[in-house]
Amino acid sequence: MSRGAVVALALTAAGTLMVWLATALFDSYVQTLIAFAGINVILVVSLNLTNGLTGLFSLGHPAFMMIGGYLAAILTFPANRKGFMLPDLPVWLAGQQWDLLPALLVGGAGAALVALVIGFPVLRLRGHYLAVATLGLIIIVSVLMRNFDGVTRGALGLSGIPRLTDLWWVYGWVVVTLLVCWRIKHSSYGRAMLALNANELAAACIGIRRARTRLLAFAVGAFFAGIAGGLWAHQVTNLTPTSLDVLLAFTLVVMVVVGGQGSLTGGVLAALTLSALSAVMRHVQQETEIPGITQIVLALILILIMIFRPQGFFGSREPSWLTGRRAQGRTTSPQTTSR
Amino acid sequence: MTKSLTARLLGTAALALATTTTAHAQETATIAALYNLTGGMSSIDAPALNGALLHAAQINEAGGLLDGTVMLDVVGMDTRTDQQETATAAQQAITMDNIVAGIGFGDTTFVLAAAPAFQEAGLPFVTSGATHPMLPTWVGDHMFMTAFGDDDQSYAIADYAFDELGLRRIAVWTDDSMDFTRALTAFFTERFVDRGGEIVGEDFFMMGDTDFSAQVARLQAIEPVPDGVFVSAIPGEAGLSVRQIREAGITYPIVSGDGFDTELVSTTPGPELANDVFFSSHTYRADDRQVVQDFVAAYEQRYGVPPENAFAPLGYDAIGLVANAIEAAGSTDPSAIREALAATRNYDAVTGEISYTRENMVPPKPVAIISVQNGEFTLIDTWFPGDSD
Repeated sequence: MSRGAVVALALTAAGTLMVWLATALFDSYVQTLIAFAGINVILVVSLNLTNGLTGLFSLGHPAFMMIGGYLAAILTFPANRKGFMLPDLPVWLAGQQWDLLPALLVGGAGAALVALVIGFPVLRLRGHYLAVATLGLIIIVSVLMRNFDGVTRGALGLSGIPRLTDLWWVYGWVVVTLLVCWRIKHSSYGRAMLALNANELAAACIGIRRARTRLLAFAVGAFFAGIAGGLWAHQVTNLTPTSLDVLLAFTLVVMVVVGGQGSLTGGVLAALTLSALSAVMRHVQQETEIPGITQIVLALILILIMIFRPQGFFGSREPSWLTGRRAQGRTTSPQTTSR
Repeated sequence: MTKSLTARLLGTAALALATTTTAHAQETATIAALYNLTGGMSSIDAPALNGALLHAAQINEAGGLLDGTVMLDVVGMDTRTDQQETATAAQQAITMDNIVAGIGFGDTTFVLAAAPAFQEAGLPFVTSGATHPMLPTWVGDHMFMTAFGDDDQSYAIADYAFDELGLRRIAVWTDDSMDFTRALTAFFTERFVDRGGEIVGEDFFMMGDTDFSAQVARLQAIEPVPDGVFVSAIPGEAGLSVRQIREAGITYPIVSGDGFDTELVSTTPGPELANDVFFSSHTYRADDRQVVQDFVAAYEQRYGVPPENAFAPLGYDAIGLVANAIEAAGSTDPSAIREALAATRNYDAVTGEISYTRENMVPPKPVAIISVQNGEFTLIDTWFPGDSD
């Protein structure tokens, strides 16, 4: 067995143990916090494919979450309540009540499909078109959901979604996301993405297919955002057109930058750290009774990180003990291990 | 990854313990108050929390509940106008020590993100300001409303516009981004057309819009000139829309619901332009009942300002309902409190008497009709449910 597989297995086992401990020891509140932190990990790691590795600037994650969330929630919604709550659903759909896993997969696939449609024209262009297009996508999806009354219940949104998400579901998807993104990053596709990021012209000259590589990064990211949206909806049990907005897109971009653009480990750490900070600040705010102190302190910390560590926690690298490069004796400096 | 997760878990657990440890000899009844103290909903929710804290302080200063054996501890939680925060706060609330009930929110969306957690945990949740008449039906038997339903307030202003203002042809503007505003429009239109009125134009805007010139132009283009315009908006857009309609030289009445119950309706347009605005709201403004006078005086004394809007007394009343139920139940057992809440009859609240007599559990409350002339708010009429059914 290769060293990488051993490390991955050991980490997965350690994570499983911790999730088991968490479900046994902590109340529903702490479990909720951990679940949201895990969902953030999925989002940040998958956003890293486009915004970190490939050097694109996508703000589309909330839109993909909305697509995935609505699809999954409509599929798992109790069939006996669909009739009067969602009167315009097609008959063949109204009688369905799916399990969480297939519903999540459909949600993720739906999000990836939309990403392909949006990405196909936009990713051929050079410049910041993707940022504008994905920003528009958030608004379009939100307006669509708001006006598709009979299927999405409009501005009121879907409420009473079954609370199916638990720590095991979130953890499972965290593992899958990390595994897939890790494999992509360290495959020829990932190298192509990094090359495009570093120098587009040079990358094209050595035969990297720009549009296809970018489309892959974008669609895979969207798939996991769709999954995360489904998990989110079944955790909050309520999904409205304003649940997931552009503010969330910026929060995720911030997490990617803090972790280091292109670093999956950094993304995980940033998502966990910022989620934890936010949880701690919620208690500080409740104790001090100063509304808004959470946002101010978080913003200050971010500014400090950007001043003193502009490349984020890890830059675009992964820590050497994870990559195993040092063990194989290729290099000795952790600064150059991962590229 | 593993290290950070452990540290995080331990940290959070320690904090959770630290914040909820309350070991008094006297029994403490904790009420979680979930409000959006920051973000877009804060102008509605912050006064409501102030009202709630005021009432709890008054009760404790007077010696507590159940002959002084129970003290109220209202824990204010900021949900940041964010549904994920709301769901998290709800989970935190239901796991707190000595929790007996939750209150909160001036908007249906956030109630739906929080109340199901309380329902599942068997804890009553009293929303102070949300007005969707289907809320108790959707959430379940632990959901209670302090305010009237949107149907009642829309019927009230529709009746007033038809009967007293004599409006027959009316244009309707709706904030298309909120369920509250869309429901208001739907109920208003239903009643107004039922009464024999006519909707001569429909227009839409979004929460956060600041320029209404396109809507104003379309309003001016309606021939013949309408008798009035119904603007279904929340406070942020209420003042701006009034100002821009009046600045365009349109002088016919503007009517609305409790989203207009904000100082912004007079301060944004200024006293010269804030004229002939009529809206339905919660009875308490210019109400001469003793309980209202006392509330306004106490609020001013504690916070240095008069109650900002009707959500302040609604927050006050939400605590009142829970406290009343604890007294009636004779215990702080959440199930007993729920039973007592459901049996509430003729509770003398600041915002009008509350009784849960209807099958849908929406309290039939009187609705105030407020007129704004030269920037001054006056109570000009009170509508009672069933008045002209």
